[in-house]
Amino acid sequence: MTRTGRMVLLTLAALAVAMWTAGCATVQPWERARLANPCMVFDYNGGQADFASHWQSAREGSSGGFGVQGGGCGCK
Amino acid sequence: MQVGEREPAPAPRNRWRPLAVAGVCVTATALVAAGSLRGENILNIQFHTFQDSRGVTVLEPIVDLDKDFTERSGLKVKFGVDAITGASDSCARCHPDGANSQRTFVNVDYRRKIGDYKLDVGGQISRENFYAADTAMVSISRDLNKGNTTIAGGYSFSLNQPQLHPTQSVENQYAHDLFFSVTQTLTKNTILQLAYDYNRISGYQSSPFLRTRVNDIMVVGNTPDLRSRQAVVVRLRQALPGDTYLQADYRRYFDTWSLASNTFSLGVEHYFKPSLLVGFTYRWYGQTGADFYQSSYTGNPIYYTGDFRLQPFNSATYTGHVVYTPAHRLLDLLPDKTAIDLQYDRYQASTQFASSMFTLGLRIPL
Repeated sequence: MTRTGRMVLLTLAALAVAMWTAGCATVQPWERARLANPCMVFDYNGGQADFASHWQSAREGSSGGFGVQGGGCGCK
Repeated sequence: MQVGEREPAPAPRNRWRPLAVAGVCVTATALVAAGSLRGENILNIQFHTFQDSRGVTVLEPIVDLDKDFTERSGLKVKFGVDAITGASDSCARCHPDGANSQRTFVNVDYRRKIGDYKLDVGGQISRENFYAADTAMVSISRDLNKGNTTIAGGYSFSLNQPQLHPTQSVENQYAHDLFFSVTQTLTKNTILQLAYDYNRISGYQSSPFLRTRVNDIMVVGNTPDLRSRQAVVVRLRQALPGDTYLQADYRRYFDTWSLASNTFSLGVEHYFKPSLLVGFTYRWYGQTGADFYQSSYTGNPIYYTGDFRLQPFNSATYTGHVVYTPAHRLLDLLPDKTAIDLQYDRYQASTQFASSMFTLGLRIPL
């Protein structure tokens, strides 16, 4: 199996585990106080995340994985 | 025309017209949205600066309005400008006294709840000197298991058009992106997210600004027409005792140009008091080079590039930030719960490249 195939398989397996664990979660709405804190929200400051993603992709050969990607730019 | 060159597409007649039209539409829609109804509504104003070891400075003001205008629908509008001064090494080759540039972009994102699903439809228009990009995107998400699981997926298509400066010729590049994620609440203090991203880029992918040495002659690169990129991401958020929060992200990336990378970041945030949040993040990044990358070429290579992003290197980023949310109204002008955000980033690569970024942000509830 190619490396790409192995990575896709690994990803699908990881997602399957996450789906499976979903059935085990017992956190009730009244227990979610700390989960609602902005520090626990992925990319709560979307503007800052976009800015970081932009300058990183202008300097590094890889990008993606943190949401649907936008268009390119001529930054060099 | 020589082997390896392609026939350039004609330059668009007016590359700014779509942006102007979008700007008018966005402004009108935003005003309508802002004038109506209620919801979690935020006006985010940010001013970013970027300065690197080559002497390039970028100033980027951004205004971002996020407003619900019914119980089930909302609109997000973002407008920003990059003002670039100082020549990068590629610019300095032809403009030793420096060169200025500018990028303007508009994002519009409309969201609507349909049953148990949340649908987002949006687009982005970006214009700069010698580069245009238009993107359409759609994403959908759904909460399951009493809100403990969220599954999300999205797709985007981008048409990117670099101009082969100093000529007027324009090339086309097409990018498709597919994203899928599962976010799972593990405990009342832990959230885990797994994501997969597939990105396929076809068309012109060289940079007209970056040149490499082939048989001692400096030439623009010639790269493959197709690049498929994949990324797998694992992210963890952990609430610790004492109003402290831990954030850990890992990304594994690989593509069909044989470039692979690992990215790891670890952050800690702590509330010193309810109005004062201080955080620090360390990010490490390491990549292999593309299989055709060399610092210089001899003979008759099929592919060659001067793109520094395709060479093997690693980097470290140190980030510190402070968020201050005063209990009283700020300056007696702004609404309650207005937050001031200060952030500093220091990026250092093994290639001797270094940059500093500073952000001043104002988050205003409407």
